[in-house]
Amino acid sequence: MSKLNPKLVSELQCYGAKEFSACYNCGNCTAVCSLASENNEFPRKMIRLSTLGLENEIESSLEPWLCYYCGECSSTCPRQAEPGELMMSLRRYLTARYDWTGLSKRFYTSEIWELGAIFLLAAFILVMFIFFHGPMTTELTAESGVKLNTFAPWKTIEIGDWIMAALLGFFLLSNIFNMYLKVIVRNKNIKIPIKLYLTTLWDLAFNFATQWEFSKSENKTKIAGKQFNISPYWIMHWFLMSGYVLMLIMIMVFLGWFQTDNIYEWWHPQRLLGYYATFGLMAGLIYFFYNRIKKEQESGKHSHFSDWVFIVLLALTTITGILVHFFRIYGLPLPTYYMYVFHLMVLFPMLMIEVPFSKWSHLAYRPFAIYFAKVIKAAEKVNSKD
Amino acid sequence: MEEKNKIGVYICHCGSNISDYVDVEKVREEVAKIKHVSISKTTMFACADATQNEIVQDIQENDLDAIVVASCSPKLHLDTFKNVAERAGLNPYNYVQINIREQCSWAHSDKPVQATEKAIQLVKSGIARVGYSEALIKTKISAENVVVVIGAGVSGMRSAIELADLGSYVYLIEREYFVGGRVSQWGELFTTNETGKETISRLYNKLIEYKNITLFTGAEIISNTGTVGNFDIQVKIRPRYIKPGCKVDPEKLQRVIDACPVEVPDEFNFNLTTRKAIYKNFESEFPEIPAIDPDHCTRCGECEKLCDDIDLGQKDEFVNIKAGAIIINTGYDPYEPKTGEFGYKEIENVITLPQLKRLIELNGEELIYKNKRIQNIGYIYCVGSRQKDGENKYCSRYCCTSTIYTAIVIKNKFKDIHNFHFDKSIRTYGKLELLYREASENGDIFLQFWDEDPPVVSSNGNGTVVSIKDMLSSGKEIEVDCDLVVLVTGMVPRQDNKIADILKAPIGRDKFFNEIHPKLRPVETVIDGVLISGACQGPKNISESVKSSLSAASKANSLVKKGEIELKPTIAFIDKNACVWCDECVKACPFDAIIKVQSNGKNVAEIIEAKCKGGGMCLPVCPENAINLKGYTDNEMEAMITALAD
Repeated sequence: MSKLNPKLVSELQCYGAKEFSACYNCGNCTAVCSLASENNEFPRKMIRLSTLGLENEIESSLEPWLCYYCGECSSTCPRQAEPGELMMSLRRYLTARYDWTGLSKRFYTSEIWELGAIFLLAAFILVMFIFFHGPMTTELTAESGVKLNTFAPWKTIEIGDWIMAALLGFFLLSNIFNMYLKVIVRNKNIKIPIKLYLTTLWDLAFNFATQWEFSKSENKTKIAGKQFNISPYWIMHWFLMSGYVLMLIMIMVFLGWFQTDNIYEWWHPQRLLGYYATFGLMAGLIYFFYNRIKKEQESGKHSHFSDWVFIVLLALTTITGILVHFFRIYGLPLPTYYMYVFHLMVLFPMLMIEVPFSKWSHLAYRPFAIYFAKVIKAAEKVNSKD
Repeated sequence: MEEKNKIGVYICHCGSNISDYVDVEKVREEVAKIKHVSISKTTMFACADATQNEIVQDIQENDLDAIVVASCSPKLHLDTFKNVAERAGLNPYNYVQINIREQCSWAHSDKPVQATEKAIQLVKSGIARVGYSEALIKTKISAENVVVVIGAGVSGMRSAIELADLGSYVYLIEREYFVGGRVSQWGELFTTNETGKETISRLYNKLIEYKNITLFTGAEIISNTGTVGNFDIQVKIRPRYIKPGCKVDPEKLQRVIDACPVEVPDEFNFNLTTRKAIYKNFESEFPEIPAIDPDHCTRCGECEKLCDDIDLGQKDEFVNIKAGAIIINTGYDPYEPKTGEFGYKEIENVITLPQLKRLIELNGEELIYKNKRIQNIGYIYCVGSRQKDGENKYCSRYCCTSTIYTAIVIKNKFKDIHNFHFDKSIRTYGKLELLYREASENGDIFLQFWDEDPPVVSSNGNGTVVSIKDMLSSGKEIEVDCDLVVLVTGMVPRQDNKIADILKAPIGRDKFFNEIHPKLRPVETVIDGVLISGACQGPKNISESVKSSLSAASKANSLVKKGEIELKPTIAFIDKNACVWCDECVKACPFDAIIKVQSNGKNVAEIIEAKCKGGGMCLPVCPENAINLKGYTDNEMEAMITALAD
């Protein structure tokens, strides 16, 4: 026996699902959804759980993470109840539920909290630089130009990197553990043999690296009249992600090599890798901005405040990074220093807020959800054989 | 009866429908041999214009005294050939149709020889019958251009105004002391958002402009002795105990009401409150003068001391009305749930939808019931309707929309309301679907139950809980906390339905009044001149009620406006010499069309022509064989049988 909670509907509205109350249970969304099966009414089941406010059941559901917002349900809905947007909002809601600090909920449901946190973290970086920056020498050396490593030695920055990485890892992993508790441990109906966690590990790794499910949209890519079985969304997502990950590796692991005062030839790997990462990020960003402004695809029709914050912060980080690079190689010391500070002022809040508490965390939850779903399914098979 | 010497017989090919299997020429040859047949013809299509004209010509030139057409079913063309006879100057009842298509060619297409033989016998029997046919003349009776409309609710008032516009004189008879019926009890109504009171005020203000409408309130029909065109109705008007010229001063009225020591449950508010013996349901109610309820007044005289306009000495009045037609517009009662049905009358915060509607009207800023602020409201649909095993099989149709609209009104009017609908599937048909959508968008939650698994209302220490196995969540069991549980009750016939007995108006299986034909004659009853409209005929919303009332008004007017009404001549008649007045025929007649009269010093039965429907129920029960049905006399029937047996 579950207790109806009428207050969840208005709570979910704060997470972006404004229209789902209009649902009258016709089931058209389930009929068109490629994820729906005989035993799982995608996405109608989640709509119903949300309508009735059955929080515990929503909390233990993996369905929102398995949905990749192809938008078929929303465009088919005869009542414009936007089931796709509900699934999106449930991802935000679940992110907040997994987060034990309660910050995620604050950021998703309050613009003041989100902006406040960004400015606070940016201010922290600014203050650190005001007090601890190195000499701002305007003198250029013949062979290397601007002395960025004198202003901000990479060894110091790298220490900051690792402190930040430790924080991010701690929050994100503890939230994933929380997800595991809610989805698997609390589900008393299933007993999962430890072995299964290992045999399905490949899915976790594969999906983590490729986010392959995104490619299975109804939307197909057409190039020169040829249709490919991959969605343009996935391609652009891949560009963005590969750029992002490459850049992350370079600044976290190879900062000493990447943040150099030397100006290499254009074909040098330091420059080529940097340009590829920048290109990937920019291409992805332009695609996602276009999608949200033009609103042609279902997934771009509804933009939550947090969606804009995410792409704006990412865009600012990218653009300031590009400017740092060019100011440095064209020998403009002061603009390089100021832009470097500004770059970190955007980068730091973006990673601190988005990775454990907001949109970037989805990249971790999705593969884990696929992994957990596989594990549960395998366990059910094993149990039914017994 | 004159003997028929010149009978015309026409045998139809019906294209090839008949002639492919029945040898029509042989049939013609056979019947031509019969003595009184002076013309016999076969024809490709008897119903074709050219053939009709030929028959007319034959009748006139040969002075035929009867005709027989052997063709298709009389259901299809009896009237066609009756009209042919009439055009030729022959009485249409001297025409007999024989069906040799459905009964011969189509039924026996595998045996053409026998089909032809059967056709010959059938046509012979028709000729035998027409030999005994009588020329019958439709009787005409005078009709008063006066219509009695029973019930001054929304549809009764609308009927009255329409009839007055069409030029009939209208008596509008209302049992209550005030007009408006159920509609005056409701607040805002879908889809106009106008309140019931406003709707009724609008109608009343228009109604009193008409000089040809007389309104009686506190009045009931107690007897009727007449028939269509000339109903003879007696009306009893209960006293109001207030002098007619009274100018109502609201403050003084309040003092008088305060002084009245009697307190009774207020039915206008479905017993949510009480009222005094002297009352007016709301200030703008019509007629403006209040009334004293004689059933509860103790005649203590307290009110008389305060007001000169009160006269407890008033007596019942009786009025006789002659009317051409009657429209029954008596409306409905809301279904009253049984004690314990979904906790009704056992759990204190379980009420009905009509009560909720009154509760909204009685509350101001906040919705309060039994001193508790209401926020979570559960509505259980189809209470007393769509019962698989119970009495009420039907769907009242208006209730889904009404509930949804009420939920919208409540949400707009009061703060922090949550509506939960426990339904069996929503039927907000037509344009009303938009309301359903609005309610969903407002965040109302709909849960659906199975017929065999209705929701359960229970009370725990903290409040009331509705539990449901929700069809929309694959049968998941859900509990919902409710501050108020509203039972959505449908319409049932009026509990007090004496008028049905008085007017002999037929009642259907659902206990509502029954029309003759639901599609083609939707407002007429089998009692000529007695029409039905509004919710007394079955559940209807206001628009549907008013539509049917306008239809009944035009039907009533078309019946009486000519001043006379034609009656079918095929009715029973009594051989008074043979009749011994045994009473059997009276018992058999469902229309009370037979009465006892004195004739030649003895009691005999007599048929009231305007009431007889020619049903024939009285014929077989007469031990003296003293009753015959015109057009179907024993002579005619016996002649047919004899001819067939030959």
